[in-house]
Amino acid sequence: MAVPGMRLVLDGVTVERGIWSLVACGTFSEGIHLVTGLVGSGKSTLALLMAGLCPPVRGTVVREGIKNMMLSTQFPEFHITGLSVAEECASWGLDTDTVLRSARLEISGNMSPFSLSRGELKRLHFACVLSRQYDLLLLDEPFSSLDCGEKERLCRDLTSRDQGITVVFTHEQSAFPRVDRLWEIAGGELCDLGRVPDSILRWQYAPALIKRLVGAGRCPFNLTMDEIQEAACRMHGYD
Amino acid sequence: MQDARVRLGSAALLSIAAFVSIEGAFAVFLWWLIFTPHTRSVRSRSVIPGMLALIGFVAILIVISGGNGFSYFVRMALVFLIGTWLYAEQKSGDFLSVAVWAFGKRTGFDMGMTGECAMQMAESLFNDLSRIQTAMKLKGQLWGTKNIVPAGLVLIHDAMVRASDITELLAARGYRTGGTLCPGFCTRSGDLVAGICAICAFFFAFIPVSEFFILYR
Repeated sequence: MAVPGMRLVLDGVTVERGIWSLVACGTFSEGIHLVTGLVGSGKSTLALLMAGLCPPVRGTVVREGIKNMMLSTQFPEFHITGLSVAEECASWGLDTDTVLRSARLEISGNMSPFSLSRGELKRLHFACVLSRQYDLLLLDEPFSSLDCGEKERLCRDLTSRDQGITVVFTHEQSAFPRVDRLWEIAGGELCDLGRVPDSILRWQYAPALIKRLVGAGRCPFNLTMDEIQEAACRMHGYD
Repeated sequence: MQDARVRLGSAALLSIAAFVSIEGAFAVFLWWLIFTPHTRSVRSRSVIPGMLALIGFVAILIVISGGNGFSYFVRMALVFLIGTWLYAEQKSGDFLSVAVWAFGKRTGFDMGMTGECAMQMAESLFNDLSRIQTAMKLKGQLWGTKNIVPAGLVLIHDAMVRASDITELLAARGYRTGGTLCPGFCTRSGDLVAGICAICAFFFAFIPVSEFFILYR
């Protein structure tokens, strides 16, 4: 049961590693947030920080009304604690057959999770993660290692989440869920670009297709494939 | 200690000295107090209680079976102490340089590279253990004795996979045996003093000190 008014506040949070640093301020309320940035900009670090797994050198991370949290890291191997698929499902408190059906994997529960390809492992991992409702769900590069079909399926699953705070950290250029708020890490700072679609106009490192649409004055209403296609049709006069 | 040759040689002699006799362990402890930055030389302090508990467990078993468990505990604890110091002081490439210097570019290179891989693996094991603990925490599981065996099995599996990957990578790059390296070392006067004292501690471990005191009485 989601708690009304839950939010995650980054109050002047600073992380430093040698000459590299990241400063983050902002409030993440219920809905889907997309945090974008170039490779090495600090997305994974920010995810760890928001999960409480990386202490900031300055500032505080405040979780208001958040009872449970899950961080999905970029590499699904990092989540494995069982030696078989069945053990891994059990470690999440889930039934193996249900998870395998959800992940559409035709494998035996006795198989080692390490023998799966990274894409299969990622599907298994997301089947476990998305089977539960979390107040705060942090997804670090969720689309890496997935093929186009699986990316779209994941986007649909994420879009259908109607409770809690979901934060997607990615440099993905083509597959996005329906997003409420857009954030961008640039120049060592997390910038709140605002609500979608207005924030798309301020997106510095937007994917080339979206930049082209915006340049042509056909800003998509959101970032899902359907909405980008709809904007592209408007650009070509197929209204 | 700057010179990797003196460091590795001292560690080898001190480990033997500590293992051979309780007198040797005492000499090694003195050496550790004088020539190392003490607890600052321990890279991961969280490992210490676990290792001491493991040594203590074996020591208790020895006591139960009629042996000298106390001596075992002291000697092994000192071997562990020297190991942690060596691990903390070691820099990437030290094993390779020393092995090539000592045994040449063929056998030495292979030995050095094996040592470097082992050190890299030790570092990876700490990282893997940390990420397993994080994964368990995220899943709402408490870290405890119940999780040690499954976590250990995952660690071993990860290590085997990593070793296999490194082997394939070396083979793919055309590695067969040996290699070219010109090792360079920086020796300070303090290194030599520490090395000579380590040799003294080594010989001291083999002197029957107790018999000397019996003769004295």
